[in-house]
Order: sequence, then structure tokens, then C-alpha cells
Amino acid sequence: MAAKVDHAQFRLVIPSQTRYLNLVTGLAKRASLVAGLDDATAAKVSIAVDEAVTNVILHAYHGEGEHSVELELRFTEKALEIHIWHSGQGIRSDQLVLPDPKEYIKHPRKGGLGLLLMSRFMDEVQFKADAVSGRNECCLIKKIS
Amino acid sequence: MADLSIAVRHIGDVAVILPTGFINAHTVREFEEALEGQVQQGRYKILLNCKDLNYISSAGLGAIMGLIETVRENDGDILLSNLQENVFAIFDTLGFTQLYRVFGEEDQALAAVAPERKV
Repeated sequence: MAAKVDHAQFRLVIPSQTRYLNLVTGLAKRASLVAGLDDATAAKVSIAVDEAVTNVILHAYHGEGEHSVELELRFTEKALEIHIWHSGQGIRSDQLVLPDPKEYIKHPRKGGLGLLLMSRFMDEVQFKADAVSGRNECCLIKKIS
Repeated sequence: MADLSIAVRHIGDVAVILPTGFINAHTVREFEEALEGQVQQGRYKILLNCKDLNYISSAGLGAIMGLIETVRENDGDILLSNLQENVFAIFDTLGFTQLYRVFGEEDQALAAVAPERKV
């Protein structure tokens, strides 16, 4: 008897170029709908993925377009998980300082909002480093209620 | 279809900017140039009609944020109208709806920023 498959997953690898952002966010939105999320939530997931991949391209890879960004979408009964791997400069969850929206409005400036959007639109945002492979991961999780 | 196209209309001293598509890190420079172009022409009353804007990421929010002080120092403002649900959610989540005046329709925004104009 075949083992019960309780989740599905697939991967996409893109060059570290912003021209592919629209492709990735479109995929994230469609994947969210397949996972059972509603339209409004799917739009939020796609924005979170845009922000995460943009961070990788612009900050981890410093805008260099010859690298790779690997995404894995995992569909489970309880959540949609989007894992984003790269070999650029990493950050750890304990190094993050999210801007306070109230302070931000008092003192407007460019930048700093991407992580806030990710944290507001997803249920979990994790940053990890794999010491063996040397790769860094951003994991976005949206629970399916 | 291009990721982003931008149309600009002038109604009195108000610049109405209509972005169509997606504002993200790839397209934000085009959006910034459209905004900065109006300011360089001395137009400090800017209305963003977002009826055809599918989404805006933090890159686009940063472009708006980067000009808000300049336009307000010159007795102008940046107003928003016709926001789609997901675009409104982005602005609202970050508290930007407290920082910018948001209107349901373009005419309502024009009436607020140029009250002498008959709509």
C-alpha cells in the first residue's frame, strides 16, 4: 500500500533580477487560492512574497543579477509555506527590528516597510541560516483556517 | 502587457496620476520619475487615482513617502483615490491612511484639493 501523501510541494528557481518579481507574486497568489485562501488573503501573501524576494535581490545579493533565488511552495492541510533560499548575505530573526508604524508616520522616510508588511500579512516569518550548505532561508507561513 | 504604465492628466493645478499594473522594485523607478516630474514642474497637488493599480509594494510606498514632505512644504499634498481592496489593505495596515487623505472617487479628491473647481 502506498504511503499516504499529506502534503505537496514544488520548487521554482529564478535569477536574482527584479524583472521576475511579477512572475513570482502571480504564482504566490495562485498558490494561495489553490491552498484554499480567499482572494484578499491571497493578495496579501503575494505582497509578502514580493517583499521577501525583493529583499533577497536588493539586500542579500546587493542588486547583482547573476545569482539564484530558489522558492519552494509547500501545501499542507494546515498552512501554505513558502520557503525562499539564497546564497547571499543573510539575516537572522533575532537581528530584526521592525519599524513602529506610529513612529514611522511621525517621521516619514524611505525604506523599512517591507519586513513590516511581511510580518503583518503572514502568520509566521522566519529567517534561518544553514551552516552546512551556507545558504540562507526566509520562511513565510500562512495558516489555513 | 508591461508591468506598469502611467498616465498623467492636469486638471487645474492638480496633477492626476493613473498608474496601471504593478508598482514593485522593478517598476518603482518609473513611478518615482512620474511623481518627481510633477514636482519639478512646480505641481505640488498630486492625486494618485489607483483604479487600475493591481498592487503596490513597499518600494512604491517609499517613493510616495520620499516626496510627501516636499509637496507639503510647498502647500501641496498627495491624495489617493479609487483604491482597490488589496491596495487599501497595504496602506491601511501600515497606518498610511492616517497620513494621506483617501477618497472613494477621483472627483471627491479633486473637490477637496481644488474646491473652487466645479465637479
